Amino acid sequence: MTEEAQKECMKAAPAGSAPLRAVFLRSFFIQAAWNYERYQNLGFCFALEPVLRRLYPDQAACRDALSRHLQIVNTQPYMASFVLGNVARIETNAVAAGSGGACLKSLPGVKQALASSFAAIGDRIFWGRLKPMTALVCLLVWAAGGFYGWLYPGMAQPASVALLLAGPLAGIALYSAASVCVRWKGLAAGYGCGGSTNCALDSFNWPRLIKALSAAGFLMSLALAFIAFGTLAGMACASCRPADAALKLGLPLAAIGLQRLWRALDRSVFSAVGIILAASVLLFTVLGFKPLGLYL
Amino acid sequence: MTALKAFISAAIAGLLGLDAVQAGQFLLSRPALVGPLLGWLNGCPAEGAKIGILLELIYIDFIPVGGVVPPNGTAAAAAGVLAHSAAGLAPSLSFFIGMLAGAAYSPVEYRLRAARSGWNAAVEAEAAAGTLRLSRWFARSMLIEDAAMTAYVLAWTLLCAALALVPRLYALYPATDFAYSLMPWIGLSGLYFRFMTQAKKKK
Repeated sequence: MTEEAQKECMKAAPAGSAPLRAVFLRSFFIQAAWNYERYQNLGFCFALEPVLRRLYPDQAACRDALSRHLQIVNTQPYMASFVLGNVARIETNAVAAGSGGACLKSLPGVKQALASSFAAIGDRIFWGRLKPMTALVCLLVWAAGGFYGWLYPGMAQPASVALLLAGPLAGIALYSAASVCVRWKGLAAGYGCGGSTNCALDSFNWPRLIKALSAAGFLMSLALAFIAFGTLAGMACASCRPADAALKLGLPLAAIGLQRLWRALDRSVFSAVGIILAASVLLFTVLGFKPLGLYL
Repeated sequence: MTALKAFISAAIAGLLGLDAVQAGQFLLSRPALVGPLLGWLNGCPAEGAKIGILLELIYIDFIPVGGVVPPNGTAAAAAGVLAHSAAGLAPSLSFFIGMLAGAAYSPVEYRLRAARSGWNAAVEAEAAAGTLRLSRWFARSMLIEDAAMTAYVLAWTLLCAALALVPRLYALYPATDFAYSLMPWIGLSGLYFRFMTQAKKKK
């Protein structure tokens, strides 16, 4: 297709003519039938269905359009809306231009390119940063509410159910607000500039956002480290015996050292946990030593 | 009463588990929430919260990218909480059982996903015939996932109830209690160094 013909395709449809709200709601089910053969294809087709049914009142054309979107597609679920918006716009433009297949020739390539690009961004933002941050938010809320049972699981400490649920729900609320916002804005941005392989990639300042999230996550984990070691030092000092205090501080440090060593060796965290458990069973169950402990 | 609560808890875990992949992805399936929620239902909210958040910290190491099936946090938290509340095992042993249950769910999930690959041909045939109704396929997919998770959690609860009958099981508790007491530090270490590495990166 010539560049001019492509430009014609891209400006053919008026903005706001697609049922984006329906696509947005359906995008929450994009992985409902995730499969190894074509990944999110069924969810993608399901999300796009309202647009296709409106664009193609003719049954045969609609069948072709639905079949077109049953092909392989895989991206990060929250970022899929960028691709959905883009593809919805390409389909809308194709119908408005009346050129049929000509405007749709670029569709598979654009879809694949955007799916890969947005997946890389989404993985870094959501899985790599925001998701671990929800755990940090939960722990900080619990610490603010005076619940430290998570740090000393052997210690009986009563806590209100409201506080116990407030921790995870606070993290989930923040995470969901961000993910829903990205989903909606992504759909609108994708639809706004649909048709090109770099469409909406600049709709957010991704590097800056990633950097800000990394810094925020680090500050939160630093705060948590201070809280954890502060309370541990307080408990260790309260025992008044230097040997006990050293043990109470040394054991967590040894556990952290083991985790770091296993990470450096590129081994799963399960291995570190397994070694601690196996060593404990050997020492305290098989050999019958009296357990040393932080607070046993 | 305990059996009924265990069944309700497993059913809730099945529903919340759908959030992980099938519907929404609001993180309602994370062990940090499933733990205290099921703990509350079973009369041990604080133990549920501890088991849940420690599983969360350990499992946060696994990222679901590129079709990888990570250990399942919902199955882990539900099995862990029920091992304590319904089967009567010590919280420390329940935590490790939960961790194992979550990891062992990956092959189950893999098989469920692989089984859905066969649906593509049928869906394409429906699309060609003009009778495509994807919502039916989705309902089927979610029902199967829900039922699998519920059955899986119940199976682990039964297994734990049988384990509780083992004589001198309490001899294990000093060891599991000790190992359990070190888990927060393993989890916090993972979180702290993950963000430290990310913050240090220039790009």
